[in-house]
Amino acid sequence: HQHPTIVIADNHQSMSYLQIQRSLQNTNGATALPIHNTESNGLNGSNKHTISVNYDKSTDEQTLSDDNHIIDHGVTQNPYERGFSPYEFNGGTVLAISGKDYAVVAADTRLSSGYEILSRNVTKLHQLTNTTVLASAGCKTDVDQLRSVLDIRMQMYEHDNRKNMSTPSVAQMLGNTLYYKRFFPYYAFNVLGGVDHEGKGAVYSYDAIGSFERTPFSAAGSGQSFLIPLMDNVISHKNRCDEENRVDLQSDEVVEIVKDAFVTAGERDIYTGDAVQIMVITKDGVTEHVYRLKAD
Amino acid sequence: MSILEYNGAAMIAMAGDECIAIAADRRLGVQYQTVSCEFQKLFQINDKTFVGLAGLATDVQTVAQTLKFRNDLYELREDRKMTPKVFSSQLSALLYEKRFGPFFVEPIVAGLDASNKPYLSGMDLIGAPCFPDDYVVSGTCTANLHGMCETLYRPGLGPDELFETISQALLAGVDRDALSGWGAIVHVITKDGVTTRELKGRMD
Repeated sequence: HQHPTIVIADNHQSMSYLQIQRSLQNTNGATALPIHNTESNGLNGSNKHTISVNYDKSTDEQTLSDDNHIIDHGVTQNPYERGFSPYEFNGGTVLAISGKDYAVVAADTRLSSGYEILSRNVTKLHQLTNTTVLASAGCKTDVDQLRSVLDIRMQMYEHDNRKNMSTPSVAQMLGNTLYYKRFFPYYAFNVLGGVDHEGKGAVYSYDAIGSFERTPFSAAGSGQSFLIPLMDNVISHKNRCDEENRVDLQSDEVVEIVKDAFVTAGERDIYTGDAVQIMVITKDGVTEHVYRLKAD
Repeated sequence: MSILEYNGAAMIAMAGDECIAIAADRRLGVQYQTVSCEFQKLFQINDKTFVGLAGLATDVQTVAQTLKFRNDLYELREDRKMTPKVFSSQLSALLYEKRFGPFFVEPIVAGLDASNKPYLSGMDLIGAPCFPDDYVVSGTCTANLHGMCETLYRPGLGPDELFETISQALLAGVDRDALSGWGAIVHVITKDGVTTRELKGRMD
């Protein structure tokens, strides 16, 4: 009797793993299911390494004789697909609020990838004109490319029309630019803030493929769910019965609200933190403040 | 759609100065179709303990009934009322018994212990508890609720201020979620008793 766990080939040639398996099965009388080896159906069509459930031992001998020691892992004989996604989420939150004659645009400065922080000091804000700032969260490379495209198209507008683009025009252009890539979108969640031609604050919110709308405020990115209900309550005064307390907010009051909002988002969202960059836009230009947040 | 988002829910419990408040929406839906605006998700266990159950409605009701049963048995055997800490541990054990076939509920427990100190706990569907001292949230719009509570909450609020805070947090949170809302109810528990109020909010 052969020892059941040690199989010695008759002619002392080395046996492949699958041959040893088959011998074991024969010895032990195993009627196990066949090892369906996806690796073995090569382009040359032979089932070299498949063990057939075959009680007729004579047909087994045929496959035994073709001793092919190559273990394919399914990568040399067949075409295969690895998981590749062209998109990656680099995290972050952006917020914009419009007022009577100003707009406040804010974004955190953290760049992350998965659970890692790539940088604590990367800006998500991009000043397009003297009166318009674009804030974008999402995939950094798409955001950068989108900014380049917008800058170029804006220069062309200025050359063609001999004037600076107004905020509603920038808003429309951004919408169109995003829609050009309707079937392979920019992974960029945008929020545009500025003052319109009458000097009033304007904020526009976008989706990834260019649908946009002028809104009193907007937030996008990983922390948007934390901020939007807060803005509903504090800026739009929703669900509140104290209308007598409602006054037009000044830009410095809104900056304080924005700071609080980002502290909240920084606490509860892992992708938001490090610092928040706040830009206040009026018809006279843009002023910037930076505040530290928790770096955890 | 996840099974925990099938019926829709939103709830918050907050701790104040010798008082707690617990609030929940009242919607029962079947995915996007609303079926009831009077569905109960908050259950009173005794004078000083409340539990809120968010998740699949059938499990909300089953777990609520099981908890009432266990509470009654405890009171018969021990001849005393269950403290919120004991209740929370019982609930956690109940959920973990079903570790590999869980109840699809994510509960929050709020109460006052023997010395009228607030007690809060929140659990996932297999009973892993946490014991924060400010607030707990559960439901389909937890991100919205966290944003509101984190910003509006201050420690040491009295019963009336706590009621205002928790109500604003809940209403603003559910208004940005399609699956929750359609009415809200708030209980404020102090050593003197329970005050229940219904909130007037958007019915959409």
